[in-house]
Amino acid sequence: MPRVSLKIVGASGQGINSIGAIIAKGLKRSGYCVFGYREYPSLIKGGHASYQLDVSNERIRSTETRVNVLVALNHHGLGLNMEELKQGGIVLHVTPGWQFPEHHRKLIAERNLRVIYFPVDDILYRLGARAVLSNVLLTAFVWSMLDQDIDALKSLVGATFAKKKALLELNMRCIDEGYSFVDPEQGTISVALPPPNKDFASHLLITGSQAMGLGAVHAGVRLYASYPMTPSSPLLSFIAELENKTRMVVKQAEDEITAAQIVSGAMYMGTRALTATSGVGFDLMSETLSLNAMIENPTVFVLAQRPGPATGLPTWTAQGGLLQAANCSAGEFTRCVISVSNSQDAFDLMPVAFNLAEQYQISVVVLTDKQIAEALYTQHPYDLEKAEIDRGRLVVDPEKLKALKSSDRFDPNAEGGVSFRWLPGSDAATYCAQGDEHNSSGTVDESSLNTKLQMEKRLRKLHGLKAELPAPHLSVGGGSAKTTDWMDVGDEIELLVVGWGSTGEIVQDVMCSDELRGRKIAYLHYTYLWPLRTQELQRLAKRSKRIVLVEQNYQGQLGMLIRMECGLDIPDKILKYDGRPFFYDELLSSVMERCASTSENEEKFPGLEQAGSPS
Amino acid sequence: MNIALQTQPPAPSEYYSETKCIWCDGCGNYGIWTAVKYALVELNLHPWQVCLCYDVGCNGNGSDKIEGYRFHGLHGRVIPFASGAKLANMRVPVIAFGGDGATFSEGIGHLIHGVRSNYPITFVLHNNTNFGLTTGQASSLTPQGQPMNTSPNGIPEHTLASTDLIFSLSPTFVARGFSGDIKLMTRILKAAIQHRGFAFIEMLQACPTYNHFATHEYLLDRYFDANADGHDPSNLQQAKALATQVQDRIACGILYQREDIPDFYDRLIPRQGLETTCVEEVRRYDVSEYWKGLV
Repeated sequence: MPRVSLKIVGASGQGINSIGAIIAKGLKRSGYCVFGYREYPSLIKGGHASYQLDVSNERIRSTETRVNVLVALNHHGLGLNMEELKQGGIVLHVTPGWQFPEHHRKLIAERNLRVIYFPVDDILYRLGARAVLSNVLLTAFVWSMLDQDIDALKSLVGATFAKKKALLELNMRCIDEGYSFVDPEQGTISVALPPPNKDFASHLLITGSQAMGLGAVHAGVRLYASYPMTPSSPLLSFIAELENKTRMVVKQAEDEITAAQIVSGAMYMGTRALTATSGVGFDLMSETLSLNAMIENPTVFVLAQRPGPATGLPTWTAQGGLLQAANCSAGEFTRCVISVSNSQDAFDLMPVAFNLAEQYQISVVVLTDKQIAEALYTQHPYDLEKAEIDRGRLVVDPEKLKALKSSDRFDPNAEGGVSFRWLPGSDAATYCAQGDEHNSSGTVDESSLNTKLQMEKRLRKLHGLKAELPAPHLSVGGGSAKTTDWMDVGDEIELLVVGWGSTGEIVQDVMCSDELRGRKIAYLHYTYLWPLRTQELQRLAKRSKRIVLVEQNYQGQLGMLIRMECGLDIPDKILKYDGRPFFYDELLSSVMERCASTSENEEKFPGLEQAGSPS
Repeated sequence: MNIALQTQPPAPSEYYSETKCIWCDGCGNYGIWTAVKYALVELNLHPWQVCLCYDVGCNGNGSDKIEGYRFHGLHGRVIPFASGAKLANMRVPVIAFGGDGATFSEGIGHLIHGVRSNYPITFVLHNNTNFGLTTGQASSLTPQGQPMNTSPNGIPEHTLASTDLIFSLSPTFVARGFSGDIKLMTRILKAAIQHRGFAFIEMLQACPTYNHFATHEYLLDRYFDANADGHDPSNLQQAKALATQVQDRIACGILYQREDIPDFYDRLIPRQGLETTCVEEVRRYDVSEYWKGLV
């Protein structure tokens, strides 16, 4: 897969994001798949930040550590990011009279880098334009380096200023100036892009948060309550921005406990309501998770992960919340933990989460992370006919309501532990959603027999849920349609990779790499994480020469759950816990090391001897 | 209150519960429980039309002694749960109950934001001036120096000025009842349930087991119906004075009310002009209009 990467660096608030967003959109409209990745510190102005675009004419969903073009909006960027340039890369900077230190001069020579000084201040002065337009100038110059059509950029920028004629004209002059700039020393420079694929032109450029917000609205969520905490805040912002169109109730709560309780009250009353938070904010919500288990109140919580403990790294990414989601909160009860991985399932899984919550009358925790929440994906427009709204055993028919008894609400003999549910305001027998242990109508009952029956009722749901949750998804490597048949004919798997969430995207890009063409690699991706199905994994493990776990946490938390559930231990782990996502080239080299060692060492992978038999 | 009134009024027996009461002899909860049923019946509300939300505490042990759609939750959290329930279906009257322990300790933030937000719910504070269900510890409304379970030397903290706190939040409805006067409590509750916005009712009640200072007799001797004495609930200054000066006589009744302030839901721009409730609006939505700007 051809890849070109372009990184814009500078201080937070300097306009990195606006340059990145315009170029991303322009390239997408020209027929490229763009993947955008942001790094920034937890502050509003200053500090070093970056916006990287990885571009291809095939589907791309990962970031490289090495870049083809570096755009440095200040000299700190030159100091911090020069090492990232590839052989023959381009450095574009705006610092007048900048003298590279010796080691950078050496680097420039060794890697044959081309350095362009773009005299942004001179041009602004000449045009009588304010500093804010430097971003337009730079964007236009980058656009010319990418050999893209100037009119496409003009129409993109023009749409923003359509109603401000004077500003529009100035912007257009800046585009002309920036686009026609030629560095006197380097001459005309262009970055070679592969031929475009027009299919991408109609795609969306969307963050995971926007995708999740659209998915929530699609799923019938009518009330959203949340307390700001990165990386869940962009979801709150997006839902709030849409409120006059969706006409939803949107509440910025006074804390996470309140958000969780408001949403639980709204779900008890019978709408679909959502909240989202991160790390320690979810700790505050966990008592409400326990409450909802006892009153069998369907609820959905989004847990957007970032590195902890405590406030940790607020604006960076992690997958450290899996065990928290699966195990937090008092008492034993049935819950479901699922994880989104990209902009497609961030949308698709919202109706799924609400359906599961209502079908089983349980809480569903939807994991996402900073990488998904803020990365920019090139996304095919969503299928709006696919999702069903399934409200489980909710009774709304007036005749059926009349026939209900209070004791139907928490009937311990209900099939699969899921009893009828009906809503306050329904003309029917009433019940108590009782937080103390209770009998079938919600009356407190601490007797031994009742306690046992109700516990078994609530936990019985776990078995049904586990049996009905979809299997983990298997992706097969091999590089071409012809060579993927090896999986079906039962060949040995050279390397079985197991992972979940956002790391799956990078694994799949790695599997499409030229370096791994023809290798018998398979990737088993877990979306449904609790309860955990292991039969597919156990079957695949038996035919794998080597198996490796890829996760963004210290302990290999999915590995821990797998071992807990079926005894299969995966000692080989590729783990990352520095707040950064896996980068394409980094993960590729880790996977290649393992492929090389499987070729050398024909011995069967020792960890598999401990595997239990598939159930 | 937004529910359509029924032509057929409920019989009081519709609220009868099979569950036996287990409060202590002489507990103020019996009176409050009785007045709540009277108020609902007199407002022509059937049990299926109301949502009653209980905090944890002795009041919460009433959650299964009455009919109606009920909820019994976690300590201190009843106000946000009840508010969420109400915002989801504005047609159902929502009444929340909580003790002084939960409301002015663990849940004080919720109380403050509940009053401030002017959620359209009724909140009934069961004030027996201690944590009864956990066996008589001091609450923040227990008088300073009063020996209690876990504070044999009396609590070092001064007593929270709860009424001053409520008035500092620009409330729209403040009332006080006494568990020994069912007629008074019924009148207050009916007005509160019909109020536009957050109705705060403090019910002074005896706790014969743990409260040996503000006993039933103590309250009986001091309480009076301020409205019967001519107090006008629209007079904020007088309301504050009456509410906070409780050394000799304790003013009860509807102390303060204004109806001209929009409640939280009324202030939500996106909901204006909508006839439906969030509960009725659950369906699959076409969101393609919202992604047009992303292409």
